[in-house]
Amino acid sequence: MSLHRLAIDSAAREPGRPAVAGPTGDLCYAELDYAANALAHRLRAMGVAAGDRVVLWADKSPDFVVAMQAVLRLGAAYVPADGAVPVARVAAMARDCTAAAVLTSADRLAVLRDALGSLLPSADLAQEPDPEAAPVDAEVAPDDLAYILYTSGSTGAPKGVCISHGNARAFVDWAVKELGPGPQDRFANHAPFTFDLSVLDLYAAFAVGASVHLIPSELAYAPAQLAELIHQWRITVWYSVPSALTLLMRDGALLDRPAPEALRAVLFAGEPFPLPQVRALARWTGARLLNLYGPTETNVCLRHEVGPADVENDRPLPIGTPVSGDHAWAETPDGRPAAVGEVGELLVEGPTVMLGYWGVQPHQGPYRTGDLVRRLPDGSFEYLGRRDYMVKVRGHRVEPTEVETVLALHDDVAEAAVVVAGSGMDARLVAYVVPARGREVGVLGLRRHAAQRLPRYMLADEIHFLSQLPHNRNGKTDRAALTEAARAEAVVSHPTEQPHASER
Amino acid sequence: MPDQEMTKRIAEYIREKFLDGDPQGELQDTSPLLEWGVLNSLRVAQLIGFLREEFGVVVPPREIHADNLRDVRSITAMVARLA
Repeated sequence: MSLHRLAIDSAAREPGRPAVAGPTGDLCYAELDYAANALAHRLRAMGVAAGDRVVLWADKSPDFVVAMQAVLRLGAAYVPADGAVPVARVAAMARDCTAAAVLTSADRLAVLRDALGSLLPSADLAQEPDPEAAPVDAEVAPDDLAYILYTSGSTGAPKGVCISHGNARAFVDWAVKELGPGPQDRFANHAPFTFDLSVLDLYAAFAVGASVHLIPSELAYAPAQLAELIHQWRITVWYSVPSALTLLMRDGALLDRPAPEALRAVLFAGEPFPLPQVRALARWTGARLLNLYGPTETNVCLRHEVGPADVENDRPLPIGTPVSGDHAWAETPDGRPAAVGEVGELLVEGPTVMLGYWGVQPHQGPYRTGDLVRRLPDGSFEYLGRRDYMVKVRGHRVEPTEVETVLALHDDVAEAAVVVAGSGMDARLVAYVVPARGREVGVLGLRRHAAQRLPRYMLADEIHFLSQLPHNRNGKTDRAALTEAARAEAVVSHPTEQPHASER
Repeated sequence: MPDQEMTKRIAEYIREKFLDGDPQGELQDTSPLLEWGVLNSLRVAQLIGFLREEFGVVVPPREIHADNLRDVRSITAMVARLA
């Protein structure tokens, strides 16, 4: 069954119940349904048809959710872009996926039309819905494309991960079975719509006629406010990266007040969650704590529920056992399945594994995650790190080479290297930049240059200048030696902040 | 406190904490801080803490949005309004 059917069925069952809520506005299921049908008609009039792609570029809001629904109802696929993403990147995405249209907010329309510089239709996504609009509900096959999520790519250009209705439904249906939510449930949506965590928030809620409460991106890391919202909105299901939970506990005084009674599940994914934090959370709330695992390419494919053993033992939190009908195993460097206790690359096969990357051959066979894991006796896995250079900053995956490529495009830059300093909450993207001979580069000018080409989460937290980059014997940048080189040149004008002492 | 003084202190904080001191003197009152990644989500939290300590201004959640954090000028305007 299709992904859009979830909200359509809930609108028929529970028309008056809240569907989308939060500071950016509220919609009940009937309103969501009307607005999605009306926008679907407008899109059709603009020439959008089944099988097309439509880019959605806006801040998180109920209108954005309506637009997703409208595109799906036509049998087309949506391509979400955060409002903070620079227009040049949106235009590049639209060209890459040969979008049939781009929808954005009224204030971005002019700049978007300039950037597209073509006849590609674009429109304001917020317009008064016509309550008379006839229902639109395209029949789709499980392998039909539902949405494309662009992630950081190692070649210097973003990669479009293509997720089908069948992929998304396999994992949303699992989430519904796992959590057993009902119409009374209130899901928080912390992650941006461009991040796969948001798919669970939205569609698990829509599947059962529950409400999803949108947290605007400006509030996503404002700890005291977030802690307040969890209470005020009586959130029942929370899902975020561990960084956000750590921040809530450390700076938001989350644990100072009794846990809200309404809260019954806390889900986290995207990066390892340090055990002391998990224990603090487990002492505070009786809610179920679930560690979910899955790159964008596979959706959620493993899950581990925090239990007494995790509170007593000193092992890192496992990433768990396969869910959503998937199979997962570890492959050793010599190509055989890892035995218990052995380390290998995690491979995943099953209904949640993506169709492929946009513009390349469809994906075949098991997906190689690039994550190194140890196989545990109970069939679950322990996460050990990455095989390649990909890094995670506050749950967002970043290919440092993509950021380096963009920095090196600046006229006054000869070379750049990007690494992550610190870990967990204190992870920071650090750029080392070598100015071109005889040139001076300003931090702010370079930031402007990067901001015009990269999404915000890929902008360096720190930029340092070096006279040259350290190289290893193969002539490649020696990333491990960068911090030392910077120190030796004493170009770091003030010491970087000390990471916080162990939370234990 | 006059707005000018407030602007100066906020700009100084941003230079020192987020721009390595800004040796080229590029920061202006209208430099877009969010857009260029000078302020990210974590630094917004730090900045809000600074505003509380420095000016005794508690910024409520509804005020924490892009319009109020766009640049030094809009941050100053928000603080002046809330003070």
